[in-house]
Amino acid sequence: MKVHVKNWHAIAQWRWDTGAADADDDGEGDVCGICRVPYEGCCPSCKMPGDDCPLIWGECSHVFHMHCLLQWIGTSSSKQQCPMDRRPWVTAERKVDRTNNAR
Amino acid sequence: MAGLPKRIIKETERLVADPAPGITALPHEDNLRYFDVTIQGPDGSPFANGVFRAELFLPEEYPMAPPKVRFLTKIYHPNIDKLGRICLDILKDKWSPALQIRTVLLSIQALLSSPNPDDPLATDVAKHYKENEKDAQRVSREWTEKYASA
Repeated sequence: MKVHVKNWHAIAQWRWDTGAADADDDGEGDVCGICRVPYEGCCPSCKMPGDDCPLIWGECSHVFHMHCLLQWIGTSSSKQQCPMDRRPWVTAERKVDRTNNAR
Repeated sequence: MAGLPKRIIKETERLVADPAPGITALPHEDNLRYFDVTIQGPDGSPFANGVFRAELFLPEEYPMAPPKVRFLTKIYHPNIDKLGRICLDILKDKWSPALQIRTVLLSIQALLSSPNPDDPLATDVAKHYKENEKDAQRVSREWTEKYASA
């Protein structure tokens, strides 16, 4: 059986609350700095965006897909540093805990 | 090629559609991780008016590991050896996945403008640059004319 989608109505849209004021700018601002996929997409190892592929916030204010950052921090060459500013990576707890924010 | 990460596809598209000034990078059709690169020698440097060919390879771990870049054109530079290997921190211990093919190639172009004989790879060239910079630059210009003229 072949199914053709004739039309569809969007009823809701979600977005991570990255805390960035300019989340709407069309630059590279709202993509993960590691995989360069939008925050609302998912990291290269995931299929489904959303809670299964969450974001991670650093004390330095940089945001990545959690899986991308953990993979980087897991390499010895990372020296546990943020990819953006090379400061020691410290996860900011406040946002990660409020998972309901993402819905 | 199966499973080429989206990031590599995006980077390639942008490199082709909107190349950085003085730099070209084209992927091989049969291996999209392997790029033919050309870098124009920066104006005001002994490499000016030269076009230097290089190869760039994205290892399986990229972007968690840096690209491998090597000059194919002979070049008289203290940080580039006879085999074309490049001594540049971001290609080694200063790599970050926030860097890209574009930023790496721009850094290599900048290295041509500012040789660093205190961190040499080609020790004889570095010695020459430290002892008699004018004469070393003359040789760099000669090599540029001889090997890198477009």
